[in-house]
Amino acid sequence: MTAFWKFILWAMIIWLLPLLNMYFKSECKPKKNIIVGVTLPYNAHDDAAVLALLEKYKRELRLTCWIMLAAAVPSLLLRGHGTFMTYWITWTILACLSFYIPYVRCNKALRQLKEERGWRREEEAPRTVADLKAAAEEMRWLSPWWFLPPFAASLLPLLFDRTLWWLWALNAAMAPVFYLCYRYLYRNRAEVVDADSGRTMALTRIRRYNWGKCWLILAWATGAFNVGMWLTLGHVWLCMAVVLLYGLTVCLAVIRIEFRVRRLQEKLTADSGRGYYVDEDERWIWGMLYYNPNDARLMVNDRTGIGSTVNLARRSGQTIMGLILAVLLACPLIGVWLMGMERAPVELEITETELVGSHFGGRWSVPLEDIESVELMEKLPRLTRTAGTGLSSACTGQFSNSEWGRVTLCIDPRTGPWLLVKAVDGTLYLFGASEDGAAEKIAAKL
Amino acid sequence: MLLRLDFNSDIPIYQQLRNQIVSAVAAGELRPGERLPTVRALAEECGINMMTASKAYQLLKAEGYVAANRRGGVMVRLPAGGAAPETLEGLRLRLCELRLAGLSREEILKLCGRLYDGEEAER
Repeated sequence: MTAFWKFILWAMIIWLLPLLNMYFKSECKPKKNIIVGVTLPYNAHDDAAVLALLEKYKRELRLTCWIMLAAAVPSLLLRGHGTFMTYWITWTILACLSFYIPYVRCNKALRQLKEERGWRREEEAPRTVADLKAAAEEMRWLSPWWFLPPFAASLLPLLFDRTLWWLWALNAAMAPVFYLCYRYLYRNRAEVVDADSGRTMALTRIRRYNWGKCWLILAWATGAFNVGMWLTLGHVWLCMAVVLLYGLTVCLAVIRIEFRVRRLQEKLTADSGRGYYVDEDERWIWGMLYYNPNDARLMVNDRTGIGSTVNLARRSGQTIMGLILAVLLACPLIGVWLMGMERAPVELEITETELVGSHFGGRWSVPLEDIESVELMEKLPRLTRTAGTGLSSACTGQFSNSEWGRVTLCIDPRTGPWLLVKAVDGTLYLFGASEDGAAEKIAAKL
Repeated sequence: MLLRLDFNSDIPIYQQLRNQIVSAVAAGELRPGERLPTVRALAEECGINMMTASKAYQLLKAEGYVAANRRGGVMVRLPAGGAAPETLEGLRLRLCELRLAGLSREEILKLCGRLYDGEEAER
């Protein structure tokens, strides 16, 4: 892997550090009377002990940022796709998780301080608080018609290009998936902070509006991305620009919405917590994991921002959280799998009926009776990957070339010559092997 | 108007809902004609089963504190004048308990007056 690609991959992910730092730092500002996951009364917001704990928390966040930045440097010296990817993915997961360490530490310290100072709000037992007036306000869901244009746009490539139908079908499915997420990942519950129903309703409307906006932007951006991908397929730089533009648009939009909602929550509840205020700390483990056996619902809204989480007191909630964790922990295995791919040789053989190229469990074959012509190529032409593997030791799958059009590859680009096979139906195949001279032997037999 | 449900209490949730809504109507926090959440919205809000929310509304409807409209909504209303027989029976029972607790007629009347004035002050 070249230094340029390593740089691109890092550029795609390194901005996570300042973003996470900013996100976790924003927890210091009281929103709905909550500071770092702990509900505190108004007079505690400026308490010297609280401020000291928050300063310590910010210092720890900065330290985490620097440690993770330093941990990114050694990867630039690594060789090979697989090793780099394993490091890169592991680093990304660790970077996300590492910021929770100062968060949990600060949360525990604040809770202890709350106990010591007698800032506990709940009387005898934790109660579920609901605002009847706010609950009576009907939620107007966005019409599914808003999600139809991006869905229709995503279907366009499917009409014109049947070769990669699975890719276009998968992309087109995103708009309906986003609608379902919008509709069913939201817990329709009022944002009760205190006895002020007007405040509760304003906060609820803000969350609902931005929740819909978020999913709608995602659906429209994905629709545009799918069309862009289809139009630029075969033009590496343009295609990459479309991917980057999509990633940037989606990330910036979601981040902007999240921080905007947080700012509004902070502003609207700035003078709350003087009289009665809602304290649900007992139901939030470390201030972030919801555990309430008395809540029949699986999905719950995050305490601040617009996100959702699951109720860990429900079996389904535990299963979902377990699956998310398992997927996260299994991600570095992608790198290990790439390492295996890099080391596996590309093989070429001829049987009684077909010519077979194989690599790491993948198999590409042409029946001998379908072969129209065979040509040995000493030099590889410039090829663009459409779908498949593009490693320095193996290129397999669908590629394209301005002269040939589409071509199916199963080659080791390091060891030539390569065998260009043309089938009677005009399909082109380029075969090769990791073993020196293997292609020449096969060509002679053919 | 805030509902505070205690899931550790011996009083069933639907009864807690009913009691708090009645108190809110008496205190003027909920006014006649005011819209209440639908059964689904109430269940979603409190994280309870729809059956529980429905049961609370059925009870309130039977006692005349709420009325359902055609669109599935629920409105606050004041019950027809005069105390219901069940309310009188309940009051009689409470009076017996107070007498057994050693309170005299005057003390009971004074206590009732204080509680009533408290309710009025809240309004």
